[in-house]
Amino acid sequence: MEPSSNSSSEEFELDPVFLNSRREAYVIFGIWFLCMIWAVPVSYMMGYGREIVPGNVPTVFGMPTWIFWGIVCPWLAADVFTTWLCFRFIKNDDLGVAPEELAEAGDAGNETATGESVAKEGV
Amino acid sequence: MSHLFILAEGSNAALVTFTIYTLAVFGIAALSNQLLKSKSFMSEYFLGSRGLGVWAFALTFAATSSSGGSFTGFPAKIYTHGWVLALWIGSYMVVPICTMGLIGKRLNQVARASGAITIPDVLRDRFNSARFGLLTVVLIVFFMSFNLVAQFKAGALILKVLLNDVEIFKSFSLSVAEWTSGVGFFGSDSQYLVCLLFFGVAVIAYTTYGGFHAVVWTDVMQGVVMVVGVLILLPLAINAVGGLDRATQEMSKMTPPMRGYGVVQLDDSTSEIAQLDKEDWLKMSDGDSMRVFRVASSKTIEPGTSMVYGVELLEITTPSEVERILAGETPSEFVDGATVTRFSDPDARYGKAVLPAGKDKGALEPYTNIPIDGDEDQRVITTVTRVVFPSDEMVTIPIEIRPSRLTTEPLSEARAVVNVSTKSVKYASGADTPGVYVSGPGPSATDSVGFLSLSVAISFFFMWAISGSGQPSNMVRLMAFKDAMTLRRAIFTVALYYTCIYVPLVFIFCCARVLVPGMEAEPDRIMPEIALYLTSGIGAAWLGGLLIAAPFAAVMSTVDSFLLMISSAMVRDIYQRNINPNASEGTIKKLSYLCTLIVGSAAMIVAINPPDFLQDIIVYVGSGLAACFLAPVVFLLYWPRSNVHGSVIGMLAGFSAHFSMYATGAFVNDSFFRPYRLLDFDPIIIGLFVSFTVTYLATLATPAPSQELVRKYFYRKVKADSQA
Repeated sequence: MEPSSNSSSEEFELDPVFLNSRREAYVIFGIWFLCMIWAVPVSYMMGYGREIVPGNVPTVFGMPTWIFWGIVCPWLAADVFTTWLCFRFIKNDDLGVAPEELAEAGDAGNETATGESVAKEGV
Repeated sequence: MSHLFILAEGSNAALVTFTIYTLAVFGIAALSNQLLKSKSFMSEYFLGSRGLGVWAFALTFAATSSSGGSFTGFPAKIYTHGWVLALWIGSYMVVPICTMGLIGKRLNQVARASGAITIPDVLRDRFNSARFGLLTVVLIVFFMSFNLVAQFKAGALILKVLLNDVEIFKSFSLSVAEWTSGVGFFGSDSQYLVCLLFFGVAVIAYTTYGGFHAVVWTDVMQGVVMVVGVLILLPLAINAVGGLDRATQEMSKMTPPMRGYGVVQLDDSTSEIAQLDKEDWLKMSDGDSMRVFRVASSKTIEPGTSMVYGVELLEITTPSEVERILAGETPSEFVDGATVTRFSDPDARYGKAVLPAGKDKGALEPYTNIPIDGDEDQRVITTVTRVVFPSDEMVTIPIEIRPSRLTTEPLSEARAVVNVSTKSVKYASGADTPGVYVSGPGPSATDSVGFLSLSVAISFFFMWAISGSGQPSNMVRLMAFKDAMTLRRAIFTVALYYTCIYVPLVFIFCCARVLVPGMEAEPDRIMPEIALYLTSGIGAAWLGGLLIAAPFAAVMSTVDSFLLMISSAMVRDIYQRNINPNASEGTIKKLSYLCTLIVGSAAMIVAINPPDFLQDIIVYVGSGLAACFLAPVVFLLYWPRSNVHGSVIGMLAGFSAHFSMYATGAFVNDSFFRPYRLLDFDPIIIGLFVSFTVTYLATLATPAPSQELVRKYFYRKVKADSQA
């Protein structure tokens, strides 16, 4: 499963777009998990089963305290993380050219670019 | 009267808004059609030539994900259950990065490498298996068709709310009612029929004519309408309620309403009141105090009647709310000349019962007690209206049912009950408990553990962020962006967009709970209701029209995407790739137009008599698609060892596990749409767990894929100079 070479002596390496995408997916999944274990337990501990005094609910910026610490704070943190991911972490990889794009650009010359032929070019 | 004036003014504004909006949509379709003439038809019509820029990609993604539910069902849920909805929707904090970032870049690359235009294309080419491609087409068409009908219904219902008080609409609907009378297929609601026709024709026409780019550009327009609407409503709502803190404190005093049947007495039997309309306000004198009710279901009054029995009512139970309503601080006008004289026992249940066909014709007077045949608790049902029944037919009657037999009251000899469907007059969770609207799990009319238990909260973190990644309608957009830079900027844009939509929506509709009481009778109307209420306060009813176009825009943007997905599955994945690979562009073009037209028209015709459980169908379809598609797609993108056998088995296992939870629900909970919750988790969790596990194990147990396929999608040639 690790074809670094074949019988015709062509050399291959793992596609960096695949490697970068997989690394980014791990981090994104981790952020989702962190947000879940922040939002759900904090909301549950601070906002469920508490005795409420009508008309005297503790609030932050007008919302119940548990909503602020359990939802709004992680939401803002998630936005900050997302911004960092988008502008610092996710790589600006070249995603390749689709067959019809080649055909329209005329780069294929007289050769009719089929999906298969272009895919092989991209390998 | 002022409130009625406001509504009428707002409705005319809604009509103007709707007209401008529809014209703009058709203009966009015409522009898009021009693009079709200069590009490869198939790629342009179904994928926008893979050339979407940041704004188009971000807003079409956001608008398609935010279906009508975001602007009808979600506000209704906030209104009904309170602040806990912030936790329910909480995972939207990571929805953009998850749904776009987890698979976006890699999927786009694989689609380009294979020349794929649709999701079945990707799966078929990645594994070089035509059969797998066809299986995915079948699943997509199966799920999407259900959803398309449900979304058509949602669009028609929203339009009906939008045009509710517009005179020209009402008179046209009456004409349609005359034309269709006697034809059972068209149903009895002519207003719904007219709205469905308008909505359906508009969406089908612009989608058919303009293709993917028309859908994307209208999505952009719709996305802008949505966010602008919300950002205008937010300060208006907070200002009107006197600050968010005041809204929270008022909510902390609230207790859920009671719902049941009542008797309304008219001051004069010759009164001109011909009908008690849904949402009319009524009072009831109770010693020194006054009780306040809202009509929950319209009731026609027979001429000469002074007592109206069996009126379905909602009682406001929060004392401070009752005071504000009676003091005229809320938009609540009481019906003159009508008062409630009797309301359900709080310990009773209310609902409907079916009485079997009997031997004699007869009648049951209101408040007759009937024994329930074979009931172990020996309960009785009580009629709440006069019931006249023929001798040879079953009859369905509104009833109340007491916890145990009241032996002091006489029982009718009449009839045994063959089927009873009832709900508690009081909420099953949170009744008589101040504070339920500002804490978890939130009040629930039907569920005794409350609205959002801990396990359900965890399920929804999966539901929105993870299952959202598995939606083919989202995936196809991930194949359409131009380059990685576009993806990065679009994720950032959608993250800000969702922050500006969903957090403010929670604030707005918590304020709405205080500003507009008693909407539990029809909570789906809260969005237009609050929009008109707030904008009329600043003398800008036209703005209300714009704001209530937002939910309409949301449904439109979802319907057009689904429509295009189904037709692309048929034209591209079935016809071109399996029946006629050498079909000319002209043939493909005609077939694409025809297919979009036929699929849309068929969905519209089915939606004339749509199934109930609108939101439940949407949830079933969304979670079912994720259970089928997410695991195979994630593995095919990130695991070189993945193969067609494992993917097919995993896909079918995910479908079966998810479906079995719903099928079990049909037996255990008496409804397919009340699924069985294994370990109290939503079926999406079970479906995803089974799908990922089975795909992984089945892949390991079956032969590895060919080296050629692995190289094609996971490796690249090393350049000669780099080798040196």
